[in-house]
Amino acid sequence: MTQNLELTDIQGNIVKAYGAFNFTKARYLFLRIDNGDKGREFVGAVTTKVTSAVRWEKNSMPVATTNIGFTFSGLQALELPTASLMGFPEEFVMGMKGRKDILGDDGPSDPMYWDKIWQETVHIWLSINGQSIEAVDERYQWILKQIEASDGGVTLLTGHRGEKDEDNLPYQDASVLYDAEGKPTPKEHFGYTDGIGDAVFEGQTNIQARVLGRGKLTRSGHWEPLATGEFLLGHVDEAMDYPQTAPTPKLLAHNGTYMVYRKLHENVGSFNRFLDEQSKVFPGSKELLAAKFSGRWRDNGAPVVNAPDDASKAEWDKNYAAADFAGQKKMLIDFTYNDDIDGAKCPISAHIRRINPRGSLEYGVKDAYERPGALVDRRRILRRGLPYGKVKDPTRDDGNHGIIFMALNADIKRQFEFVQQQWINYANDFKEGNDKEVLLGNHDAKNPGKVVFQVEKGSGKAPHFVNNIPRLIEARGGDYFFIPSITALKMIAGGIVDPT
Amino acid sequence: MATKSGNATALTVLSPIKNGIMDDLSFADITRERCLRLPIHEKSPIARVPNTYLARLFVLDDVVYESLPGSDSVFNFSDITSFFSDTARKDALPRKDRLQSKYLVFSSNFYGDLDAYLTGVWEKWAYDDYGIQRDVRYIWEHCVAFDQVNDCSDFIGYIKKCQLDASLFFNGSTDDSLQEQLKSLYLKQEFTRFVVAHQGKSAAEIQQDFKEFVKRVQPENLNGPSWQPGQSMP
Amino acid sequence: MSNIAGKAYAMNVITPIRWYKVWINRLIFKIALSKPSTLKGLVTLSLIHYARWVIIPRDGFPHLDSSQPKENLNYAYMLFFSNFNGSWDQYVDSFTFAIPAGLDLFWKWNVRYPKSVPLSPFHKYIRHNQIDTSHYYNAYPMAASNDVKSAKKLKQALINFNAESASKTSEEFLADYNRLLNYLQHDFGEMRATPIVSLAAHAVKERYLKSHAAH
Repeated sequence: MTQNLELTDIQGNIVKAYGAFNFTKARYLFLRIDNGDKGREFVGAVTTKVTSAVRWEKNSMPVATTNIGFTFSGLQALELPTASLMGFPEEFVMGMKGRKDILGDDGPSDPMYWDKIWQETVHIWLSINGQSIEAVDERYQWILKQIEASDGGVTLLTGHRGEKDEDNLPYQDASVLYDAEGKPTPKEHFGYTDGIGDAVFEGQTNIQARVLGRGKLTRSGHWEPLATGEFLLGHVDEAMDYPQTAPTPKLLAHNGTYMVYRKLHENVGSFNRFLDEQSKVFPGSKELLAAKFSGRWRDNGAPVVNAPDDASKAEWDKNYAAADFAGQKKMLIDFTYNDDIDGAKCPISAHIRRINPRGSLEYGVKDAYERPGALVDRRRILRRGLPYGKVKDPTRDDGNHGIIFMALNADIKRQFEFVQQQWINYANDFKEGNDKEVLLGNHDAKNPGKVVFQVEKGSGKAPHFVNNIPRLIEARGGDYFFIPSITALKMIAGGIVDPT
Repeated sequence: MATKSGNATALTVLSPIKNGIMDDLSFADITRERCLRLPIHEKSPIARVPNTYLARLFVLDDVVYESLPGSDSVFNFSDITSFFSDTARKDALPRKDRLQSKYLVFSSNFYGDLDAYLTGVWEKWAYDDYGIQRDVRYIWEHCVAFDQVNDCSDFIGYIKKCQLDASLFFNGSTDDSLQEQLKSLYLKQEFTRFVVAHQGKSAAEIQQDFKEFVKRVQPENLNGPSWQPGQSMP
Repeated sequence: MSNIAGKAYAMNVITPIRWYKVWINRLIFKIALSKPSTLKGLVTLSLIHYARWVIIPRDGFPHLDSSQPKENLNYAYMLFFSNFNGSWDQYVDSFTFAIPAGLDLFWKWNVRYPKSVPLSPFHKYIRHNQIDTSHYYNAYPMAASNDVKSAKKLKQALINFNAESASKTSEEFLADYNRLLNYLQHDFGEMRATPIVSLAAHAVKERYLKSHAAH
């Protein structure tokens, strides 16, 4: 079954990770709608610049992109009919702050400590991705003009924390991090290589090369793209169903999806201290320990399951250097935990194993489930976003640096929230009780947790315990957004959404 | 006979509730309210009943009419006849069933034999109901013929009359006694903390501390330190 | 109070089944009991403490006294009681994805059972026929079924180790201790309170505890 996506109708950020196309800079704006008529007019104006998912040729690539999404209260402010509004799912209606007990946003991640902008009512999310900061700024100026032209219809909200202790910026900037020579890197502030194993679904291009390790695992050990409906409303999903989160009428939902936006502060000082301290008692190099936290080596993203110690990593690096581009990609993504069910190579609590266990939740019991990834295929998300801020002092936690995390999925509750709650902050599916994942877990300072790094079964060696884990990531803001299709945007802007 | 899986037993009880009202409330609603008001976790009366793993109470008001679409047969002859006969079409609709009584449902998973267990229910079931002490009779009070229950043996006889066998009892856990399960959970928690705290320590120190540890947790003493039934906080 | 007690969720489902098909269901349950491989998926999923299926024939509802009206039913009824970890909303996908054929096998003979895939008709069918629990008691709210099983393994290993190794020389003790830890390396999960799987159930519990504390 092949499916051609209506690329001209789907917003580009759903299908493309702009970062992979040299869009190194991004700016995120949040707006409030003060007047329905004028607000819709503003949406109409912005829609003319909204970037679709249409394929880019070398000479047709824009220098900047624009995408737009709405919170539930934003859709109310745009005066969508009640019958349409009632079709949206509970978690979207509640918004991210209302879901803090589900997400584990407690302690320093509590919404009361978020950037000031999140104390306001946010209606619209607008993103600009650019090939340069100039391109971003040019598009930003254009948007400011539209805001002005709206004549009080919409207000650009301020209140983002910035680099120089500002707490009232009108936008959130994000950027790739650069190496010493000023070349862009795929790193984030803890030094990990990010964005390698994103989900792949039916209808995306160049599937053959990308689907390995990123789609769904079949019984015969092959990889197939996930069903489109896992990521786009109005399409059949993995349950042979249309996503149940779609509002009416069909055209409002079709080719749209939901987006999770989270500003995640990285406690770099705590991370570095923690890594140093733990590496003193860890039987292996500091880099191996860091790799076991995440499931990938920091320098090049090598999967720990295929490079489980320093010696095998050296071997892996040699093969990697010798491989061509396609071969390198394959080495990064094409793996399972089938030969590592016990977690001796890649710990069961490693970040990438927790968020995408591949076939390992079958625990080596062949044919226990319909498919090896039966418990996984409905829990996948598309990861978007970029780092923000600069680390000025790597021994300190304060400042303004982290990741703008965005996740796209058809069902926030079933996909993003489930992974965050059940697999990051809890581990019964992994038979590890309440042990939280090291990097993203909402570790409790008063009662810090631990994880187990398993070793070879029957080796007589004790497993390694990583304990006293500090809170390494803190939420600093965010919300849930509906990302409509371009058709739906026009309907919303025109005030002609009719669920009858 | 209740249904067993090893030493684990599944007890399913449907006790008919008297039709009728008292003080403007039906007996069924009074019974339901009493169930809803029960204190939870360690304060639940069931926490005092020896060997209960998991148990529940609710009132079955009626059965449900199957109004949803769905096809339960490989082939429905009526699918064809319905085209030609309106009577056949109507006959093919699911039947409407109504229960003549509402039932108090008590479903328990426990360790051991039914008689011993029900003796525990009769003797130990007790709780504080907003300041008033209640026993098990308070929940079953308005069930049909429960007024003839005067002692433990009556109670066991009564429950057995309300009891239904399970066709399949799936045990996804263990069939050890509750004390054994709770002691194991306690040891798991305590030993985990011990091994984490002793990572990297010298052999002599671990050995010495392990002796102290064993003395403290008393692994084989089920009456020693353990988790309490229904314990909801570490 | 609610369907949730700590890490366990109480599910009650009552579904009609044509009386002349009851024997099929009984036979399937019998096969499931005698052939453990039928339940391999459920065992691997390991989300259930205890579950049961009870079939009530048309004349099978308990009748205690002449004052109680006799039931007069068209159908027999199948009762399903389960104690599983997580909430139904969260884990309906896991159940239907892991063991769709098993679910179909057990419910297939029930009136208007829609099959487990596609999911939403199945989800609606269960919700439609689900009866909420008024009081749910769980002897170990902080433990999942996984924890109970792993605790059993740990206790036995600990007792054996104590008997055999506690008094050895320090070096031998340490070697045995490390072997013990190796054997138990998947059994060291910390047990704490459940994550809040339902905001509604959590709010009910908070109000409830408050009103009880007031007395």
